[in-house]
Amino acid sequence: MARITKEERKNGIISAALKLFSEKGFYITTIPDIAEKVGMSVGNFYNYFTSKDVLAKELVMYISEYLGKSIREINEKEISTDKKIYEIVSMYFDMANEKPEMIEYFLRVYLSNREVFGDGCEGMLCVSPFVTEMMLFFNDGVECGELHDQDFFSAFGLFMGYLGGMVFLFGEKILPEPLEWYKESISQNIYNALKTR
Amino acid sequence: MHSKQDKPHLLWFQGVTCNGNTHSFLNLTNLEHLLNKFEILHHPALASLKSFDTITQCQENCDIFIFEGTYDPLLKRNDIEVSKIVQHYAKSAKYIIGLGSCASFGGMFKASAPQRNSGLIFNEDVKEGPLEKYSNKVINISGCPIHPEWLEYVLLMIASHKEILVDELHRPRELYSNLAHHGCTRNEYFEWKVDADNFGEKEGCLYYTQGCRAPMTHASCNKILWNEVSSKTRVGTPCFGCTEPDFPRKNLFSTKTNMSIPVDVPLGVSKRSYLTLAGIAKTFHIKRLEGKLIDYKTTN
Amino acid sequence: MITRQLIEQIEGEASVNFDMQEDRVAFATIAFPHFRGIESILKGKSALDALVITPRVCGICGHAHLMATVRAIEDAYKNAGHPIQLTKKVEVIREFTLVMEMIQNHFKWIYLSIIPELSKLLDSKELQTPLKGAYASSIASKSIATFAGQWPHSSYMIPGGITADPTNIDVLKVESYIDELIDFFEKESLGISLEKFLSFQSCKDFEGLKSDISFIESALIEAGMNIKGHSYDRFLVAGKHNFSKPSKLKQTRSFSIDNTQIGTSNAYSPQEKTYAYNAHYKGDFYETGPLSRSMAMGLPIVKNMHRRFKDSAYSRVMARVFELAYLLRHARDILKDIDISESSFTKPLDITKLSASGLGVVEAPRGPLLHSIEIEDGFIKEYKIITPTQFNIGSSTIENPTPAQKAMIGTTQKEALFIFRTFDVCSVCTTH
Repeated sequence: MARITKEERKNGIISAALKLFSEKGFYITTIPDIAEKVGMSVGNFYNYFTSKDVLAKELVMYISEYLGKSIREINEKEISTDKKIYEIVSMYFDMANEKPEMIEYFLRVYLSNREVFGDGCEGMLCVSPFVTEMMLFFNDGVECGELHDQDFFSAFGLFMGYLGGMVFLFGEKILPEPLEWYKESISQNIYNALKTR
Repeated sequence: MHSKQDKPHLLWFQGVTCNGNTHSFLNLTNLEHLLNKFEILHHPALASLKSFDTITQCQENCDIFIFEGTYDPLLKRNDIEVSKIVQHYAKSAKYIIGLGSCASFGGMFKASAPQRNSGLIFNEDVKEGPLEKYSNKVINISGCPIHPEWLEYVLLMIASHKEILVDELHRPRELYSNLAHHGCTRNEYFEWKVDADNFGEKEGCLYYTQGCRAPMTHASCNKILWNEVSSKTRVGTPCFGCTEPDFPRKNLFSTKTNMSIPVDVPLGVSKRSYLTLAGIAKTFHIKRLEGKLIDYKTTN
Repeated sequence: MITRQLIEQIEGEASVNFDMQEDRVAFATIAFPHFRGIESILKGKSALDALVITPRVCGICGHAHLMATVRAIEDAYKNAGHPIQLTKKVEVIREFTLVMEMIQNHFKWIYLSIIPELSKLLDSKELQTPLKGAYASSIASKSIATFAGQWPHSSYMIPGGITADPTNIDVLKVESYIDELIDFFEKESLGISLEKFLSFQSCKDFEGLKSDISFIESALIEAGMNIKGHSYDRFLVAGKHNFSKPSKLKQTRSFSIDNTQIGTSNAYSPQEKTYAYNAHYKGDFYETGPLSRSMAMGLPIVKNMHRRFKDSAYSRVMARVFELAYLLRHARDILKDIDISESSFTKPLDITKLSASGLGVVEAPRGPLLHSIEIEDGFIKEYKIITPTQFNIGSSTIENPTPAQKAMIGTTQKEALFIFRTFDVCSVCTTH
């Protein structure tokens, strides 16, 4: 059996942690729970993450970087802004479907337990990779004349609040249709709200 | 003691100008010392060897031809075409100095006749102009106006036969490789993204809202201080980027943003890098930087 | 017979077309050949951009243009019902930098223009030290730059106040520059203390004095300039400052004025094209500048001079010399009461919400400078500039000559060219 790298080990912990937090809840899940799921000793676990709080913050950064990377790939495509919006929505909803533990962690743990993240994840510090890519997306949209100029937070709140809200409803099993059914209409609504008049 | 033949012959001629560079030059400390190294054939304000009439009739030659002002191909001075005068002196001169942003790129008075006005070898940032064929001997000292020490530097380098390294816009590298941003007394506010809310305060960076172009402008203004004492940004005025080919821009006292994101970020820095760093810096609220440096009205 | 004389080293060039009768000037017209179209350049720009563009009308008096622009915009705010309150500190600093620009202008005019021209007029071999003017100017500019960041071409005045927030360090430094400048003036130019000079009662007080200034005074007498260069003996001051009193004077009788009565008319220059206009007050031509300001303020020495020599070229030149001394003392005095803790800037209404007209009037080195602006949603719809040289050195018909034209009639051509310069010509301003 090939030697597992430290990087792969770390990602394994992240994966396991996200799944457990999703199934059992953030506060109930313990380090031993996570270590057992990954198949390592608790002592070894602490070589990767020195505490549950440190793990919690690193998870936010991990998800942020993942989202940021995906948005960057979409933004660098030579397609029109409305198509980019569709692709971002699509990517986000696909993630909600295929890796629900990631989005759920973001909405139900990060946003809802500020006391855990207050020190070391102030403001937008830990979500910087994701927010930066959204800034660049908006910047490019205005520069090429397809989106109208406005305050960044007005636009960001509209886009992300909307997506987050839909995924939350999906998680609560309120949506009658599967999530991908809503991709088209939501992308349209976002584009119509942000496009140049 | 230099004989008359040893000293380079200097001619200072004007196109479409406000005379700002002339008056800035007169502020030079040790002006006399510098002038003694040259024979001044003609200058718009100082004592000259030859009359304006003689000069405009192209009866002379010079070693250093200084041109101040925008070049207008239809301009006449003393009823003689400036185009003829400029070609005559440029041919035999060893050095041609485009003095100020007007002579370098067109500057403020390109707008007087935009279809035909330009700098000597640049039309804004495009290499084209009346003296293009003499490009290799043209040095552009851009600025609106120039700082007298910038011209002093070029003239002293010439007088001591030293080679002047220039950038792609023919500006001396030793003067123009710094940004106006280097040496601004508000730099801590730039670092921590504490923006100035208003004018008239010592605190706050002028880049994000007040239109300061210093991080994008090649100039020594905060290194070689103006009038030996100050600079625009040190007195809370945003840099207007006057040494660059796109001066004057529009809406000079405000920063152009796309959804609150500055359109222009510091030279050579990618937008992604800038936004990442700015985002992180903005997260932290440094109390000391949010208060006044000096509170004149301290209670108790 | 018409002879044309090119005049340069007047912040640009001009040509005077003399109609000679034997060796006397019967009449002269004046043409300013260059034009940059700054009023058109300003159209459509954001109103605040004018603060950067108008100083570039002129390299020697750009600061006066800056003040005229900011006053015009602030006047527009007032007319729109949003008057701007400036702190006393802001008023003092703005006036201070304006006065320092006048001081550097007068120093340069004395040493780079008048002394050399007087020497030429008298074929004198008097030792010339033109760089004294440059040196004095560099100290004056330093004091401007301490508050305004740089000179020339500062834009530190903005609607609502100034961008600068100086400390007592800056004020003390500037006070020491003024002291240095006064020392220099006393030693190098006056040959007597500033206070003594300002207390001169008449030209007799020059007796026994040996200095650059006494040279000017005696050379003017020798050249007969005390009985030449007379104009209308009418004076106009329009800018309101602590060193000037807006008024019009007919000889010594003073009347109030209404700035809206200032206008321009086309110049008369049949020999060649001119881009200048003639400025007038209610259709009449008035002289402007230091002589006018001194008469309006009632400076004893100038009034005495005027009693003897009226508005001759002598009075015109000496008034500028006295104004230099007077302004140096004024600059030193106004800084004394500055309260550094006052605010530098009060944010006015967002300029994009402003649609109104405004008029900014300033006393520039050569006289009144007027900027009128029409703003629509923060952008410039119309901009008009009237400069002091348009008052002094317009070109009109023989039936109704402008002040400079009238002053040159009846003199020799050589004398006329000198008298022309006594008005302190600014070619770039005149045509902008």
